[in-house]
Amino acid sequence: MNNNHHFSSYEQLSNTWDEMYSNNAEIRTPYETIIQYLKNTSKETLIKKEELSKQLFMSQGVTFTVYSDNEGIEKIFPFDIVPRIITAIEWDIIERGIKQRIKALNLFIKDIYNEQFIINDGIVPADLIYNCPNYLREMKGIKVPHDIYVHIAGVDLIRNNDGEFYVLEDNLRTPSGVSYMLENREISKRLYPGILPRNNVRSVANYPNLLYKKLQELSYHKNPNMVLLTPGIYNSAYYEHTTLARLMGIELVEGSDLVVKNHFVYMKTTNGLKQVDIIYRRVDDDFLDPLEFNATSVLGVAGIMAAYRKGNVNIINAPGTGVADDKATYVYVPDMIKYYLNEEPILKNIKTYQLSRPDELEHVIENIKTMVIKKTDGSGGYGMLMGHEASDEEIKDYLDTVRKNPSAFIAQTILKLSTAPCYINGELSPRCIDLRPFALSGKDGIDICPGALTRVALKKGSLVVNSSQGGGSKDTWVIQ
Amino acid sequence: MAAVKTLGLFNNFETIKRMLSRVANNLIWLERYMERGNGIISLLKVNFYANQDSPELFSWTPIIQNYNASSEKIHTEDAIECIEYMVFNTSNPNSILNLVTKARENARSVQEHISREMWLCINNYYLYLIRKDLIRKLKEEDPIVFLDELKKYHLMYNGTMDLTQERGSSYYFMNVGKFLERVIQISDFTAMKLIEIAKTSDSLEQSFYWKNLLLSVGGYQLYLKTHKSSFQENHIIRMIFQDKLFPRSMYYCVNKLSRHINKLIEINELEKNNTEFLLGKLESTIKYTTIDGINEQGLNHFISDIKEDIKNISLSINTVYFSHSN
Repeated sequence: MNNNHHFSSYEQLSNTWDEMYSNNAEIRTPYETIIQYLKNTSKETLIKKEELSKQLFMSQGVTFTVYSDNEGIEKIFPFDIVPRIITAIEWDIIERGIKQRIKALNLFIKDIYNEQFIINDGIVPADLIYNCPNYLREMKGIKVPHDIYVHIAGVDLIRNNDGEFYVLEDNLRTPSGVSYMLENREISKRLYPGILPRNNVRSVANYPNLLYKKLQELSYHKNPNMVLLTPGIYNSAYYEHTTLARLMGIELVEGSDLVVKNHFVYMKTTNGLKQVDIIYRRVDDDFLDPLEFNATSVLGVAGIMAAYRKGNVNIINAPGTGVADDKATYVYVPDMIKYYLNEEPILKNIKTYQLSRPDELEHVIENIKTMVIKKTDGSGGYGMLMGHEASDEEIKDYLDTVRKNPSAFIAQTILKLSTAPCYINGELSPRCIDLRPFALSGKDGIDICPGALTRVALKKGSLVVNSSQGGGSKDTWVIQ
Repeated sequence: MAAVKTLGLFNNFETIKRMLSRVANNLIWLERYMERGNGIISLLKVNFYANQDSPELFSWTPIIQNYNASSEKIHTEDAIECIEYMVFNTSNPNSILNLVTKARENARSVQEHISREMWLCINNYYLYLIRKDLIRKLKEEDPIVFLDELKKYHLMYNGTMDLTQERGSSYYFMNVGKFLERVIQISDFTAMKLIEIAKTSDSLEQSFYWKNLLLSVGGYQLYLKTHKSSFQENHIIRMIFQDKLFPRSMYYCVNKLSRHINKLIEINELEKNNTEFLLGKLESTIKYTTIDGINEQGLNHFISDIKEDIKNISLSINTVYFSHSN
């Protein structure tokens, strides 16, 4: 049986890299096995598989809740059944590139909160740091274990039409999505029995063990008491928090389970207080300690920062890492790599314009239709202006806002995100994708799990892959 | 260096896992909700049969009144409507849907403490309950098949817990919840029938109620085996309250409750405080009050004493996790 019609309406986007088809519409070698499998499978079977994947997500409880009108609706993060494939050669570049980047960024954060050589040497302007809302004065001069600030990073990459990977964002605070890397793989095993081994797909199952080991090594205790701090069941990533806690074998705690006494952090157990050594927090800096940051926060623990400063507890990632993944700081990462490591960046940055510079602002306005403007402290795909699809009025309004505080915005040329085949309405169609691998830093260096979260913009022609805006995900196969 | 070594050594002694107070609380309530759901389904099933036979004796109102804590009053004697109310209505705090939703929320937040299989079991039960076509199944098909389907999830849940949950603090806390709830249920079911029994002097009618009580707690078959088909109040009370081997008797459940509480005290998860004392008091009340003694004070009085004791035990366990919460 041959079901070539799955492919009949596959229209490649112009001037865009397609992960499956080469420029002359031939199937790239790594995709051959899976494509052959799809061709030999009927539409009915594929639709059943799609249905099965949804059921599996639901029955495992891999859901997030959307609240409206006081009612919570549980949803699954849309999953596309066709895997995204990355070759060993591509992975090698990605891996080396991210390691290099995280190494430099970590040195940068240490430098910024201590001697500030990079400012004194005129590489990074002081304004940039002090204007950054994610810079934490409270972190100045704190000695963190093994000088590691970014223990967990989820760097977002995209592949441009030149076939190269570019860094979109560094995500050094509390990056999420790793549970989908794990869960998507589990679903693939069920959907395509036998296909994974035939493709020599590298396993991602080790991630929780690796994370545990990296965090454990930070402590002087042999068996440190490690907890995962969640904002609670109303957080959209709660599923991920429960999963990671379960797979690492550590306690999932909420702010109200912890208490600080004499600068030590304790959890409230049935048998009294028990000291906590390491907190893998999934609560943002701002909510971490009502005594030092947002005073109305009930998600954090009062006094935790004082305990941290005394070295009595380790917080993962360190507070204040947001100073390095801010969109305005992003521009300087290639310079940081040269400055701290004396190396050429392996992964490229996207050409970025700083709107506080009049000449660059002018250039952006002239070429607005090919530009995307973002807030430097924005995330989740919100508050952006996509020049090619905005109306003249929207552009005008947005630029008015920009002119009021130009340093709060950056602009980038709209990149051509690569496309990958997605199974949509019974046939394969190209959709834009990105890539988020997860890097773990410990005292013995940086390790990257050979897999990633591939996010998909499921809307036709859309470049926005964020889950909050119609994005979905794919399993990501790194092959040997 | 010496200091580090000492810390390492200290840590090795610290292998006893301490449980978060919130977790212990959620485990107890997870089981209480599940057990309550299980009991209510049995009650609905038994009442459905009885109501078909003699609607004047087995009205739905007492059941709804006992479980509906909301201000909304419901007046219907239509069996299907009543079952629908008790299973699906979201303003009824004890509807099966609400109980399972709450059980699932508790389970979700303690996933690293319960077996994976238990979580999947509860989650699938919940997903079954929110299926859009389920109400239609109740309305258009056999209500007993409908209730049996729900019951199966409870049986599967209990079996899964038995086979997959390691014995340890989580298991003990869950069982504390389970047997607390079961004791409350036996008291409630009996009290509900006593109200009806008091309304009539017809001994045949009274025997119907007693038989119905046996069915509701699941002791009918055992009763027949032991006492044949002759329904005597004293035998029934003795079986429901004092039988050592019947798993839904008061005696059996209090014994189990005591066993799990003592396990928790043994591994230092629960402070002795006065839980042990209260439990001992309850145990001796149940074990050593003769049937004549019960009759003398009245079954109603006996039950309300038990309920009072259970309330105090429950409060005393509560103090364990509330005492650390500030």
